[in-house]
Amino acid sequence: MSGKVQSSTPALPSDQGAIPQTGGARTFWGGLVASGVYQSFSTALLSSPKRQFFILAVFPVIWVITQHLGPMLQMFYVSMVDAYPVAPSYENSFTLDNYARFFREAIFVMPFIRTLVFASVLTFCTLVLTFPVAYFLARHVKRSNQMIFLLLLLIPFWVGEIVRTYAIMILLGNNGAVNLLLKSIGLIDRPIPFMYTGFSVSVGIIYLSALYMLLPLYSALEKLPKSYTDAAADLGAGPWTRFWRVTLPLSLEGISSGATLVFLISTGYYATPVLLGGPSTTVFAETIAGFFHTAGDQWPTGAAFACLMFITALGITALFGRFMTKLQKGIRR
Amino acid sequence: MAKFTLNRRKFLSSAAATGAVLASPAYLRRSYAAGGEVNIWTYTNFVPDSFKEQFEDETGIKVNIRLVDDQGKQFNLLAAEAPNPTVDILTVAGHRFLQFIDSDLLAPLDTDRLKNWSAINPTFSESDWSTINGNKWGAPILSGMEVMAYNTDVVSAEEASTWETLFSEKYSGQTAYVLQDMMSIVMLKMGYDGNMVAYLDDPEKAAKIVEEAKNYLIEKKPLVRKYYDGGAEVQQMFVNQDINLACAWNGPIASLMNDGFPVAMTIPTEGSYGFVYTYNIANNAPNADNAYTFLDAILGSAEIGAAMTKASGFISTYKGASEYLSESEKAATSFPEEVLANMKFFRAEANEMKYGLVDPAVEAIKAA
Amino acid sequence: MTRNTRLVMSIIYWAFVLYVFMPLVLMVTMGFKDSKFIGFPIKSWTLDWYLGVVQNSEVLSAFGYSIWIGVTSTAISLFVGIWISVLLNGKGFYGKTLIYGLTLLPALIPGIISAISFRIYAQLWGVSPGTGAIIWCHAVHNVPFVVLIVSARLSTLPKSYLDAARDLGADPLIAFIRVALPYLKPALIGGGVFCLLISFDDFVRSFFLGGYQPTLPVLIFAKLRSGMSPEINAIATVVLVLTGALGIWAERSMRRLNKGN
Repeated sequence: MSGKVQSSTPALPSDQGAIPQTGGARTFWGGLVASGVYQSFSTALLSSPKRQFFILAVFPVIWVITQHLGPMLQMFYVSMVDAYPVAPSYENSFTLDNYARFFREAIFVMPFIRTLVFASVLTFCTLVLTFPVAYFLARHVKRSNQMIFLLLLLIPFWVGEIVRTYAIMILLGNNGAVNLLLKSIGLIDRPIPFMYTGFSVSVGIIYLSALYMLLPLYSALEKLPKSYTDAAADLGAGPWTRFWRVTLPLSLEGISSGATLVFLISTGYYATPVLLGGPSTTVFAETIAGFFHTAGDQWPTGAAFACLMFITALGITALFGRFMTKLQKGIRR
Repeated sequence: MAKFTLNRRKFLSSAAATGAVLASPAYLRRSYAAGGEVNIWTYTNFVPDSFKEQFEDETGIKVNIRLVDDQGKQFNLLAAEAPNPTVDILTVAGHRFLQFIDSDLLAPLDTDRLKNWSAINPTFSESDWSTINGNKWGAPILSGMEVMAYNTDVVSAEEASTWETLFSEKYSGQTAYVLQDMMSIVMLKMGYDGNMVAYLDDPEKAAKIVEEAKNYLIEKKPLVRKYYDGGAEVQQMFVNQDINLACAWNGPIASLMNDGFPVAMTIPTEGSYGFVYTYNIANNAPNADNAYTFLDAILGSAEIGAAMTKASGFISTYKGASEYLSESEKAATSFPEEVLANMKFFRAEANEMKYGLVDPAVEAIKAA
Repeated sequence: MTRNTRLVMSIIYWAFVLYVFMPLVLMVTMGFKDSKFIGFPIKSWTLDWYLGVVQNSEVLSAFGYSIWIGVTSTAISLFVGIWISVLLNGKGFYGKTLIYGLTLLPALIPGIISAISFRIYAQLWGVSPGTGAIIWCHAVHNVPFVVLIVSARLSTLPKSYLDAARDLGADPLIAFIRVALPYLKPALIGGGVFCLLISFDDFVRSFFLGGYQPTLPVLIFAKLRSGMSPEINAIATVVLVLTGALGIWAERSMRRLNKGN
């Protein structure tokens, strides 16, 4: 896994005030520290740096192994058995056939590749669309208003995915808002079939992805000192040059973390592409879900396919991360 | 504290219920306020609120309803809970029985314990699909069928009387259907047995037929607007005028008709398939006795059946339920005898072979 | 920055606002439609759907239940997420990258897979489905987002702040609580809102891990079976208004609390 995602991710704006005012609270904290109970607690746990580190590390390590890795391993296990869930009278055995099935039956390759292509293209589109928005927010809006402008964009996400998706249907349908509008101003006679095409899927997915892209981009741009671009302007650089040579390179970290997140998450979108897509836009998540929903004992195949998708997507992300690191290094030189 | 009360009530209820069943099968006797609870997984509106209140009031059994929204999820959920499910009654479509039975998730239904069993129209309760391995597995409550639904402003009743219209150039880009269901209908339209029961001994022929149906649907793929999954989707497509023709279940279309949309439905002459929703008792159900009490009660009156029909748009399996429906409700939930004669029920016997062939075919059509 | 780019940027921003709000406007409008289905044309209007929602205890209790799950799981995610962030932002150690990768894992698994695998996993641990199981699953799923957001802020915390606190005699725990936590506040608010949002909108995990009490998305899915009605749109709108009001109230009271300090 690339360490890329970490460095520049959202932190909503605020005043930078940090060092606490040691006014009235001193008595409480001072009292606490001075108390015998706390003293013995402190010496027992925090006496040596080694012990401190142990205390610090033990809980997260246990947590990620039991909570994060556990369910994943469970899925991996399911992908390697021949029947799951198991009937009481049956003893299941290990097999790699679920994985082999993907390569044996050519029909699964198409949705697989389509999903990866969709995810890449839509990640790119989301980036292009949200970058100016994030830029505007971070650079052109007054600091005290940034929070409000950002929260404004988050409001629609409090409405469930399904309700929103149906709203998109009545927006884009043959008898939907857009077509009615175009008809009433005389631009078209017959409705344009927006729905159930690659277009309608994109409208729905970019909507979902924008959230995950916007926050990392915003926080990367927000950290970028305005003096840099000002300096470039003083040196005679035009707006485009300033963008290509200063802003973009310095926001690469935000771009790469946003793109990574969006790409990985968008390989798993299910409800939106199923509801808004047409006959030729089947995504792999639909294929996977099919194994869980229809005829009985196909969980193992579904799990195996999910593992395949996940591993491939991670691989692509790793390559992308490496590429971005190189790009950053190249620019710094 | 809460836990203790619950356990105690549970204990009391099962003891009382067993006693009550032995002593008097009449559930409506106030004297036996059994208490306890019964846990049900079902679709929204399948247990009418007024019935639920009355039942709780008269038996003291608390009805816990967990709303579900499709068969596959119910199966997954139950499979994950087995062998000690939290549920007593679930709602399975008759032709999906086998999947549940094969995984040991359902208990056979002891119809002798339901004195109101005879209130069900025998078309449904004694039909060929309903007996598997010599047992009954569920009490039929509502029935649905695959119909041709069409926008009456655009499509004539005559055109709608054959499935061919769904695949005609004339309505290119204005049609929608559920692929899995369409496979069965295409096989039927081609003159084969869409349930594939007839080919149980001849898997090669079965494979050939599925191949033929698959190729037909791939050939017609450029004409279809949408392969959909749920009733709400097909309704929305009609409302948005994205489609004018669809193969759909009758329930969602009936709701559209009742709301005054220019939509009608019919069973084309080539025939169609129907299915039945049944209440089933889970294997190892925690409150099996209460479940029987509940089933007997809900089968108790045709009015309850009519209430379910009004809420869902599906056809009641109860004898005489239609007497409680208004004229427009009747129109949206009934068909003339000669049209109904074209309908067959989905059957489960050959499901393993059928879906073993159909599921990959569906994937192939989607990928084509 | 020239005036033109500024103008273009603000046009793009407002166009984006229009894009994300269009479906919302349609949703609110359709809640007033006098029909069982949403869509055009709207022949007559009614207030019944909205009135129905406000009077319907089923919807309101599902809303309350979802809020309860969201708040509790967010609190757990924040606690765990902060702890992990501190570990990952501290000195390097063997296996740090691995821990980091594992931390992000839950955010990257497709919903349905994560839900089913968690359901099986819960059974392994003897946790029965219900409120606890949903909270657990939501909390685990949201930890990565907290870590991402908190780490970003933590990495900008000047080391001198902590050193100063240590010089004043605070042990690491006190120094963290008194110095780092206040510094992290904006990240904690951002992360908290994000977690609440995801938990509140989650259907598939709540469905598989839930019991007989429906969360709001589960209730909406069940209602969707009988069609996408104006009722569902009215529910979503009322919920939007309620959460908005709750958010403003929380913000206000937090501000008052800060002032009181």
